[in-house]
Amino acid sequence: MKFKAPFIIILSTILSLFLLAGCGQKQESGQEQGQRSAAKAHTYKIGLSLAITGSTSDAGNPYSKGVEDYINYANEMKFLGDDKIKCMIRDDQYKNDVTKRNFEDFLSAGIIFYLNYSTGSTLALKRDFEEERIPVIPASFHAGNLIDSNYIFLPIVSYSSQAIGLSEYIVNNHKGVNPKTAMFIHPSAFGRGPVEDVKKAVAAGLTMDIIEVVEHGRDLDNTAMLKRLISKKVQYVICNTVQSPVATLLNDAQRLGISADEFGQEDKITFFGVHYTGGNDLIALAGTSAENFFWTTSYRLTNEESAGASAQLEIAQKYGRDSKTANSHNYTNGIMAAQIAVETIRRAKAKGLEINRSNLYNELTAMNGFNAYYPLTTVGPVTFSSQDHAGVDTQIIYQVQNGVFRSICNPFESTYTGKLK
Amino acid sequence: MSVNRWLATGNFYESYKQEQRIFSTHCERAVFIVFIVALFLWPLLIKTSNTALLVLDEIMIAIIAIIGLNLVTGFAGLISIGHAAFVGIGAYTLAATSRVLGDQHVLLTHAWPLMIFLSGTAGAVFGAFVGLPAIRLKHLYLAIATLSFQMIFQWTINFMSFFNQGQTIPIARVYCFTGMVSRKDHYLFWYYTILIIVVVCGFCVRNLLRTRYGRCLVAVRDNDRAADAMGMHPGLTKVYAFSLSGFFAGIAGALHAYLYRGAGLDSFTLHHSITYLAMAIVGGLGTLAGSFFGPTAIKALDLQVEQLSEWTSVFLPAAMNLATALKPLAFGLVIVLFLIFEPRGIANWWRIIKSYIKLWPFKY
Repeated sequence: MKFKAPFIIILSTILSLFLLAGCGQKQESGQEQGQRSAAKAHTYKIGLSLAITGSTSDAGNPYSKGVEDYINYANEMKFLGDDKIKCMIRDDQYKNDVTKRNFEDFLSAGIIFYLNYSTGSTLALKRDFEEERIPVIPASFHAGNLIDSNYIFLPIVSYSSQAIGLSEYIVNNHKGVNPKTAMFIHPSAFGRGPVEDVKKAVAAGLTMDIIEVVEHGRDLDNTAMLKRLISKKVQYVICNTVQSPVATLLNDAQRLGISADEFGQEDKITFFGVHYTGGNDLIALAGTSAENFFWTTSYRLTNEESAGASAQLEIAQKYGRDSKTANSHNYTNGIMAAQIAVETIRRAKAKGLEINRSNLYNELTAMNGFNAYYPLTTVGPVTFSSQDHAGVDTQIIYQVQNGVFRSICNPFESTYTGKLK
Repeated sequence: MSVNRWLATGNFYESYKQEQRIFSTHCERAVFIVFIVALFLWPLLIKTSNTALLVLDEIMIAIIAIIGLNLVTGFAGLISIGHAAFVGIGAYTLAATSRVLGDQHVLLTHAWPLMIFLSGTAGAVFGAFVGLPAIRLKHLYLAIATLSFQMIFQWTINFMSFFNQGQTIPIARVYCFTGMVSRKDHYLFWYYTILIIVVVCGFCVRNLLRTRYGRCLVAVRDNDRAADAMGMHPGLTKVYAFSLSGFFAGIAGALHAYLYRGAGLDSFTLHHSITYLAMAIVGGLGTLAGSFFGPTAIKALDLQVEQLSEWTSVFLPAAMNLATALKPLAFGLVIVLFLIFEPRGIANWWRIIKSYIKLWPFKY
């Protein structure tokens, strides 16, 4: 028998590294078990599967830290008295197969609440959520998540509502005849979702012309597309994608000299974006090209003074987060998902109910009217009912002014979203 | 052959038929039977989590797909970079049926063995079609042709609303003799189903390789002109190699769709095709045993690196995203190491171990 010595050495080194990694994890879980057995209070388990590495990890990473920090904060501040929440966080690398495996693992561990991430995995696991009857809060605000689903709850308004809200802002502030608009979207369900809904709003009376819908690829140059839009007299582009394609688009528009310096400038294009297009990361990527970019979300930002911003920065500081993470709207987004989960458990506990999936679902659907939940980090209250599974119904528009996102209007509810319902 | 077939310590074949036996000794057969029985019994004796069963199901599905890839790339020597697309054809055959007839249709829920076979057939048809260029093309040019098929498949699924633009198309739970397979039993049910299919596929291929059709594949791989001169039809052999490969891939795709209760594009991308190739290389190209070892090793590596990435992501700076790089790095490293130091794959280790045991206590 003749094995090659160098190969065996390299293979043994790799295996040893893996074993060491495994041992480290085992030791940690042993300590946790010890702590758990020492404590008399209940520990409620929730699970979060998201892209900490791989595609979209730039959003997933701060999101996971937001969830982790808020759960730790809630435990330390004794929001649930002596009871604790244990949030199991797993990386799914933005792959549905891995998300499914993580979800099964969480179920085996006995979770009572689940936090999911991507649109694709939320749609793929929808039936599992129904069968397990487990309340789910995804990081995806795709309106399609709510179709044929009873257990998925969006923390804020859907991408569709956000895009319709931006369209309404364009129509209300545009001077002249129907504004000519294009949509720049991610080539997936996440990006495509709002297109049909915006078209429905136009059909329902929103006086706007949708000239073109562009699904971007991995283009590093948008010159041809931008020139085509200008030739078609397009004045507004609504983006529903992630930050990097938007940054490329904005850079190209600035290079071509077609970025509007102010809203609706003639023969120029004013750019708009929904939740995942904006934030500080966009400014970091696009630099001065991001100037005058309009962005909508339901969250308060840390660069504007508010109780929510202060609370968020305090939590980030408490857990040693860097400035980038602390000021990220994805960190806010993670905090939000955790806030809803903690609040739901707190309310069920306050009523003396057993903390199980069914009671948490009932608590969530009762979160409306006088029972609405008012987190500090959002521009409106979280309201759910058995019919309404979108949390914060209001949105706000920010504009990049001197390299910083500034709010330019009061929080509002999209009129046409209500009409389409 | 030695008289005692239990304790044969060498090769004493006296005829070609003897050499072509599936099991060369009774010992080999007994070990195999015990192993198969153990695979069937252990879930009944040991309490297993759904996650573990899901991972095992995934590995066995990959084994079926790699058996197909090994036929075309390992035995027939035709490189295929579009194998995930063939797997996808199987899954999307179910998805298309679900779109047309509804996901609760009896064909999908009750006649699922037939649907699995039909998915395999669809894979075979597409395989034969994609295999047509193999009559004229070789090596890198053929690789490009299969890559094109992968791209066309992805584009079609991603942009056709009939296929839900790549998003998951749901498929309902299946029924067996005791009624609908519940969520609780889902993974165990598919464990047994896939295990049976793996065993059947394994025996089919083992037998195929003992026939003249199987030997044709190897002959065409080694020298297609010589094979032609010997009266074989290299063109036809190449097409049926692709077709057979597509059949196994189609079955794997259908099983994947049933296991995950839906078909979505992100399980059948170019990345998956490359992974399948890596599984075949690491397992051992041109060996049946390699089709079993490769998927097991790569999936195990995947799981370990996943844990390692997650673990290191706590310590490594997020901005550099180093944790993300670990998986492709480990994956690439393993392939390169195998290509340099053990191009015959894990199957060769298995061969050495078997030979050692067979000859023990003698060294040679």
